[in-house]
Amino acid sequence: MHAAVVFLAQLLLAGVRSSTPVLLVLLGETLTQRVGVINLGVEGEMLVGAAGGFAITAVTGNPWLGLVAAMLAGLLLSGAHALLCLGFKVNQIASGVCVLTLGSGLSAYYGAPYVGRQIAGFANPSGFASMPALAPLLAALTPTVVIALAITPMIGVWLYKTRTGLIWRTVGESTEAARMVGIKPWRVQLAGILAGGLLAGLGGAALSVDYTRTWVEGMTAGRGLVAVGLVVVARWNPWLALPAALLFGGSEALYLRLQSLGVTVSPYLLSTLPYLIPLAVLLGSYRSARRTGGMPQELTSIFKGVQ
Amino acid sequence: MLVALKGIHKRFGSVHANRDVHLQIGAGEVLALLGENGAGKSTLMKILYGFYAPDAGEILIDGVPVRMDSPRTAMSRGIGMVFQHFSLVRELSVRENLLLAYPHSPWWQGRAHARANRVLRRLREFAPDIDPDALVSQLSVGEQQQVELVKVLNVDARLVILDEPTSVLTPPEAERLWALVRKLAEAGHSVVFITHKLEDVMACADRVAIMRAGALVDVRDANRLNEQQLVELMMGAGAHSAAIEVDAPASAVARLLVAAVSATRDVMHIEDINLELAAGEILGIAGVAGNGQALLADAVAGFAPLTAGEVILAGNVLHSAERSIAHDPRIGYIPENPLRNAVAADLSNYINLLLRRYSEVAFFPRWEREKTAARALIKRFDVRPPLAELSSGALSGGNLQKLVIARELSRPRELVVACYPTMGLDVHAAAAVYQHLFAQARAGACVLWISEDLDDLMRYAHRIAVLYHGRIVVTVDHRDADRHVLGRWMTGAAAAAA
Amino acid sequence: MTEPSVLRRYTVPLAAGVLFVAVALAFFALNAPAPFAVFGAMVQGAYGDGFALSISLVKATPILLCALSVALPARMGLITVGAEGQLYFGALTGTGAVLGLLHAPAWELLPAMLGAALAGGALWGAVPGLLRARLSVNETIVTILLNYVAIRLVDFVVYGPWKNAANLGWPATVSFPAAAVFPAFTVHGTTVHAEFLVACAAAAALHGLVSRSRWGLSLTLLRSNRRAASIAGVNYARNAVAVMAIAGMLAGFAGIMQAADVQGRLQPDISVGYGLSGFLVAWLAGQNFLRIIPLSLLMGGLTASADALQLFAQLPFASTVVLQGLLFGSVLALNGWLRRSKA
Repeated sequence: MHAAVVFLAQLLLAGVRSSTPVLLVLLGETLTQRVGVINLGVEGEMLVGAAGGFAITAVTGNPWLGLVAAMLAGLLLSGAHALLCLGFKVNQIASGVCVLTLGSGLSAYYGAPYVGRQIAGFANPSGFASMPALAPLLAALTPTVVIALAITPMIGVWLYKTRTGLIWRTVGESTEAARMVGIKPWRVQLAGILAGGLLAGLGGAALSVDYTRTWVEGMTAGRGLVAVGLVVVARWNPWLALPAALLFGGSEALYLRLQSLGVTVSPYLLSTLPYLIPLAVLLGSYRSARRTGGMPQELTSIFKGVQ
Repeated sequence: MLVALKGIHKRFGSVHANRDVHLQIGAGEVLALLGENGAGKSTLMKILYGFYAPDAGEILIDGVPVRMDSPRTAMSRGIGMVFQHFSLVRELSVRENLLLAYPHSPWWQGRAHARANRVLRRLREFAPDIDPDALVSQLSVGEQQQVELVKVLNVDARLVILDEPTSVLTPPEAERLWALVRKLAEAGHSVVFITHKLEDVMACADRVAIMRAGALVDVRDANRLNEQQLVELMMGAGAHSAAIEVDAPASAVARLLVAAVSATRDVMHIEDINLELAAGEILGIAGVAGNGQALLADAVAGFAPLTAGEVILAGNVLHSAERSIAHDPRIGYIPENPLRNAVAADLSNYINLLLRRYSEVAFFPRWEREKTAARALIKRFDVRPPLAELSSGALSGGNLQKLVIARELSRPRELVVACYPTMGLDVHAAAAVYQHLFAQARAGACVLWISEDLDDLMRYAHRIAVLYHGRIVVTVDHRDADRHVLGRWMTGAAAAAA
Repeated sequence: MTEPSVLRRYTVPLAAGVLFVAVALAFFALNAPAPFAVFGAMVQGAYGDGFALSISLVKATPILLCALSVALPARMGLITVGAEGQLYFGALTGTGAVLGLLHAPAWELLPAMLGAALAGGALWGAVPGLLRARLSVNETIVTILLNYVAIRLVDFVVYGPWKNAANLGWPATVSFPAAAVFPAFTVHGTTVHAEFLVACAAAAALHGLVSRSRWGLSLTLLRSNRRAASIAGVNYARNAVAVMAIAGMLAGFAGIMQAADVQGRLQPDISVGYGLSGFLVAWLAGQNFLRIIPLSLLMGGLTASADALQLFAQLPFASTVVLQGLLFGSVLALNGWLRRSKA
């Protein structure tokens, strides 16, 4: 009994930890899609964030500087998406794939010297040594986890309770209606794309600087793209982003735990779970999303097809 | 506030939407802007509202020239506009829609916030029944219009422009709107009431400005003109709508049976629909938009799966809950919004014309032959411009409808379903549509005709059924039809009283 | 259905080429001492001699097949990014057949291998097609997720049940028998594998079928307006599944060819992003099957020149990925700019 509780508690903590990069990207992509833009390039933005954040941390030894660098890198690359689909009116899927390609190329190219480097990451909080019972909890709550858990409700409140949040939602529902009340939709959409890039970069750094403390080419393994799908599961609602992200992070933690418990199923087979479980939930939530809405109306045309 | 438009010109491509229009709007007056579809009324008002820039001319407020470069400028000058297609965001609540348009909207918009709740004051005054936390998509069309109006009043509009406001309303709702308009005028607001309905002018206008083909024809006091004069000014001298003949159906034996049909699509339902049509009979369906009209048309034509019931034509089951065929050759179907529902807009006319005999086309089609066939149809049905290779999306509304009719009604059909076939068309185009539609009835087809125009229904249909909340609530013979009785059924008032 | 004007048909590719060269030179200038020399080395490495050309053809073949598998669904408005996963899954099922018939003669082994690979690819494509048709689930997202699943399934078999024990730590199956290898021939020192010709024939056949037949019109109708298509009696679900299954077969064929002809066994890295390159090529070609052929050769050359770049300028493989992205972005931007300036 006790062992089961401990296992579940550890699983949850591990799940939250491994969800953090996805959660950050998911929040960013939620904001982007809320203004009516889909960005598959978050995968690439996450990669440049991971590589840039790791490189700066390795060079300066300061992981906080790494996070800032990662956000900047994600932001810059998302600017390419904004330029292509807002400036040149390119199909958003195609533009996203272009950004994804650029991001994976650039991160692999400029990140190559840092493969195999060691970094210290964030220092463990030492002031709590007197409370050994809380030690595992505090060890799990690394800075990026705390940041992600803190900004989730902030984004939720901001989106639903403030004027700028209302303007963002309006642009996602109808650029036409937004224009009628004097909003310039492209400005809001630009902000939405850049916010998504910033958070995707941060998510990448959460992975490389904080979670794994390594940099490997293509290390995001589709987390950014999974996040794009999870936005649908979370119904474009930041309040639902954490449970949706846990679908990926939780299944990842589960397969790592099962492996360490000596379960005989191949780890490679188990590693399909973080993709199959979100997919399964996605199928279920699509039906209800169609019925009850939730999808920003400006997205429906993009989801419909090629132009 | 005195608003003056001087020498307004506006062109869209080769079309003169407005030519040299001079118009003054006084404080506290209701000015009806009367004209046919396409006369340039909406364009003129959208220029005043800063939505379009005029090619020439100027706008003066209290004698001072003003550049209206955006709706925001117009709003800041005290001009507000309620559009025919509302600019409300359907997936946001009433409160959020009002906050969005409110110029002093606070940054923090929590529900208890006093300043955020100020936007609801006028809503409570004019439309106390509307729940501010309801999503706009849950409101009736009449309620949405009220929200839109409140939104405009919230920006302290002293001049309110209403774009064809009664075209979407039932007779009782229209009466309520007229009263509201008078109330606004008494409170010192100016109101411009864009309309093509004479009854709007008679009911609430002080002055009437009549437009035809982009030009302002006349401006007079409303009480100086009778209906006959208004029609002549609006249509041009000697213009009469072509007489359309409708014969009585030859027999009374039911040929089309719609038996206990139910269907569901998204949030729309139709339930337990029972209809009987004899050969040659025209059954009109009246109702307020959004009561399941399009779904009913789709269900009978085979485009929406039935959840219960059957559609039986001449003894054969056409559609049932098990099976629906959208392209049964015996049915001619003119769906609502043909651009979206009847044609592939980016494909050529000749492609769109062959859709109904698609299976007869060879696997490797001989396109020249198809184009020749299309040209013959285009000529016969007077589609302009008469080009087989033009994308159908480039056609005007009337010509697109002719194209659809050329495809659907060029062969004799046993059942014709038409949903809002004349919506957005001018009188001449509408007359052409009616000619083809009713010719099928004369040839023996059952015609199920859904319309938003109660007058046309009463003029041409043999019987009229009213659709309300997805159900047929009453069916009357055209000889017994009465606007107000039908209006009460359309709003559900009659059913509540019965 | 309006064809682009003759002027546009030639100016766009030309301008895109110039733009790409400029962008590539700028990238080299930032990262290597002599940009023009590096560019020259790249061209030399891609098309300079028979050997380089052979490698370029080998790289171009899977890109061509993957591009076709993106372009066909695009004809009816489906955006798939799933070629990579279909490639892997086709390789997986095809390899299954090979391992089951290791000592069979070629006339038994080849059809079984191809059949299994095509069936596997078709399955991996048809699933998102079916989900799209029946549940309206966005096919782009499903294909993305299935990519990772397929890649991990290949990992599973090559690290697990199908691993050749003699390999020690190296994850791969046993070498395929000679009977599983497709014919190849050499012209003027350039080796041409039969699958390249098959891929070109597939492109030509698809082009003829889609541009001339009623089926092609059906796809165009479905893309333009599903409602109008149903007036013509054209079924969305059936076509969505069929088109995605054919797309999967094309990519699955590419997958088994990588395993059988290029690597000679199934191993984790049978693709170096061919699915993504195929997506780029399909969009660069404007989803036109014939234009895909030369663009695949270009993209294959770019991939093949990676070695030359590495030797000549110490630029790692990733530089070609960056160049692919730059090429794609510049063409997208150019097209968008032209469309806007025309409107």
